[in-house]
Amino acid sequence: MQNTVLHASHLSKTFGATTVLSSASVEVGRGEIHALLGGNGSGKSTLIKLLAGVHRADTGGTITVGGVSTPAERWSVEEAKRHGLHFVHQDPAVFPALTVAENIAIGRGFPTSSGGRIDRASLRRRTSEVLERFHIPATPDTLVAALRPADRVMIAIARALQDREGAHEGVLVLDEPTASLPAWEVDVLLAALRRYAEAGQTIVYVTHRLDEVIDLADRVTVLRDGRVAGSRDVEGLTEAGLVEMIVGRPLDRVFPEQRRQVATDVAMSVRGLAVGPLRGVDLDLHRGEVLGIAGLLGSGRSELLHALFGDLPVTSGEVTLAGRPLRVRSPRQAMEAGLALVPENRGADGLFSSLSVRENLSASVVRSYWRGGRLRHKAERTDARALVAAFGVKPDTDTPAAGTLSGGNQQKVVLARWLRRDPAVLLLDEPTQGVDVGARADIYAHVRAAADHGTAVLLVTSDFEEMAHVADRVLVLREGRVVAELLAPDITADRLTELSYLTMEVPA
Amino acid sequence: MTTESTEVAPPPSPPASSPGAAGRPAHEAPAPTWRAQLPSLVEKYALVFLFALMCVFFTVYQPTSDTFPSAANIRNILGNEPVVAIIALASILPLTCGQFDLSVGAVAGLSSIVTATAAAEHDVPVVLAVVLGIFSGCAVGLFNGVLVARLGVNALVATLGTATLVAGLVSLYTANLVISIGIPESLTALGSGTWLGLPRTVYTLAVIAVGVWYVLTQTPYGRQLTAVGVSPGSARLVGLRVDRYVLSSFVLSGGLSGVAGVLLLARAGTANPSVGPGYTLAALSAAFLGATALKPGTFNVLGTLLGVLFVAVSVNGLVLAGAADWVQPTFNGAALIIAVALSTSIARRRAGR
Repeated sequence: MQNTVLHASHLSKTFGATTVLSSASVEVGRGEIHALLGGNGSGKSTLIKLLAGVHRADTGGTITVGGVSTPAERWSVEEAKRHGLHFVHQDPAVFPALTVAENIAIGRGFPTSSGGRIDRASLRRRTSEVLERFHIPATPDTLVAALRPADRVMIAIARALQDREGAHEGVLVLDEPTASLPAWEVDVLLAALRRYAEAGQTIVYVTHRLDEVIDLADRVTVLRDGRVAGSRDVEGLTEAGLVEMIVGRPLDRVFPEQRRQVATDVAMSVRGLAVGPLRGVDLDLHRGEVLGIAGLLGSGRSELLHALFGDLPVTSGEVTLAGRPLRVRSPRQAMEAGLALVPENRGADGLFSSLSVRENLSASVVRSYWRGGRLRHKAERTDARALVAAFGVKPDTDTPAAGTLSGGNQQKVVLARWLRRDPAVLLLDEPTQGVDVGARADIYAHVRAAADHGTAVLLVTSDFEEMAHVADRVLVLREGRVVAELLAPDITADRLTELSYLTMEVPA
Repeated sequence: MTTESTEVAPPPSPPASSPGAAGRPAHEAPAPTWRAQLPSLVEKYALVFLFALMCVFFTVYQPTSDTFPSAANIRNILGNEPVVAIIALASILPLTCGQFDLSVGAVAGLSSIVTATAAAEHDVPVVLAVVLGIFSGCAVGLFNGVLVARLGVNALVATLGTATLVAGLVSLYTANLVISIGIPESLTALGSGTWLGLPRTVYTLAVIAVGVWYVLTQTPYGRQLTAVGVSPGSARLVGLRVDRYVLSSFVLSGGLSGVAGVLLLARAGTANPSVGPGYTLAALSAAFLGATALKPGTFNVLGTLLGVLFVAVSVNGLVLAGAADWVQPTFNGAALIIAVALSTSIARRRAGR
């Protein structure tokens, strides 16, 4: 490749006896957008951390930036910075309570006047220049909290690149910048990245989202099991092709088949539910179906699930479960009624990260092991092992702390915790967030199996592509109400996007 | 915290878990070898080893080799420590639930005064006086619990306030005078007597320790308490009433501190209004030391007892060696800081953060 800007060759990393990255090489050309793909645990984050100098590579590799080679084991955060590698991480470290100007100045220091006071005028002037250069629609005095999420990411990018006046030297490394962005914000950010690339900026782009890769990137490198599984031009690649590279096996289908026929046996019906932004939602959920709830962030999707689960007080509305009125005022009552909720924020609301996988699995059924005045630990262990095997949790033991598992495996544990209760209604809130493509397939296979057993599933996901593959029926929420219904063969991501966005105003 | 960062966590994190289970052989994790387990074994038994080292050292060290290993000294340590040990066990209940209780020492002091006053000055039957003492501890615990669980006051601040308040009220009521006359003999006999060669206080401790162990590890309540401490948000969504667990842990902590207060009275034979608060720090040191041992990252009963013994033997040895007054607070303070730092980092690593 002519004009290589960044060449990492034969990078390896071992932690104790565990090799997480083995002899990985990546070559990035000037001005290209280079996507880095791989499942959870593929070594992609490790590679980024080696490049950033956060972790030290094993001896043997070299990192070459702009023609200057450095042995990988001598690479450090300072070296990375000196050679012009700029990193913007998944959760952009911006300070919502500070202004745009302050956020950008934190990257390189505040201009001061005599006496050490911050020179506000010069700060504002400099910030305006930066904002203009990066096409960020904000003023220096805006609080970052008031910006759209995509603009916050762009502020972080601008902060990283601000010293590179005009000339697009170095490499911008973005680690899943879109992971926490709602769909329409993603487009804003991608448009901005495309603009930077056209101006000659080299970008390394780490993501889970395949459509972004196809859309944006020039080249892609895929990691699998700590090795580079392949590196090629994106031109001519399809999402299916990418999935095969990531998973390392041809996929007949990533997602289980939808049911073409919707059952008629109503498991739960909701009438006039008002809570948060919802202003009277009506829906019927049938036994054995996967009902998707589409809508934009802030449309009240999560609130709907939390209200049904008794975790949010309902303003008004009726819920019936299997024909009987249901009034739950707490998650406990909801559980007793046969409901289960896999929450969106796995770290804070789902997992007990320092407890073992076993304890996480039994969190929903602890009392059932209380027999004869003590907890039946042996029975608990047997059940936990069976669940670990049934759900394909890796590593296949029940003893490690759940927080040490990869995202996909953590989610399998949370899902197993609820499915073991054989719930009448399963509420899923963004069940595949931060989950790699292989584990996604596994998770939906289990959801489908539960549905086949008669569980009614209510699914919220921002990934409309996924929704289109998984749901039997989709209701679209807009402005607090159900505005559309789509049935299986007609559910497409485009249609869902269209229906969700209609008359939508971008919130400030 | 993002999910991706877990893949680079050092062992014990698993090797890269491969995507997709279907149609592919699972990665066989290599059987843990003795060598691979060594770091975790060292971590588990480091405190046991240090404790043994201390004992050996003071036994062979010339200035203490006569006094330290003597039966009288060992009986003295075993007789005194159950008070601290019970207070430490009291403190691990709120700690398990993610909350500090800094009032445990003051509550023990209160309970000893309440029991002594009831028995000596109001001629209340001994059993009832003891119940009153324990009950006063529960009442203070309830107060703490309401402050923290219902009003959302930070537990450190709330219990520090309560501790100071209780100490102040005790001082007001007793006019800072030691109650030494009329303490029932049945009570002092419990404190000073021996049974089967061991101080009787040790048996009280044993009962309490088994009780706390049972509650924490053998009942759903203990499991749920741990769950609430690890992640209140997740606990709420598996149907737990987080505030109830927090509140009840403070009530239990107060009650157990009350028991420790009764034992304190029995041991000393007098009720001194100023000694209670001094136990808090020693108890917390022991609790945090305990969280580095045996079940690292978790507050556990055996570890706590070991922590108490470790601090007691160290301080006892140093005092016998002729160390000055400053040694005990310095040692306790250093032990607390080291223990908290260690147990925090262990817990963090275990959680994969």
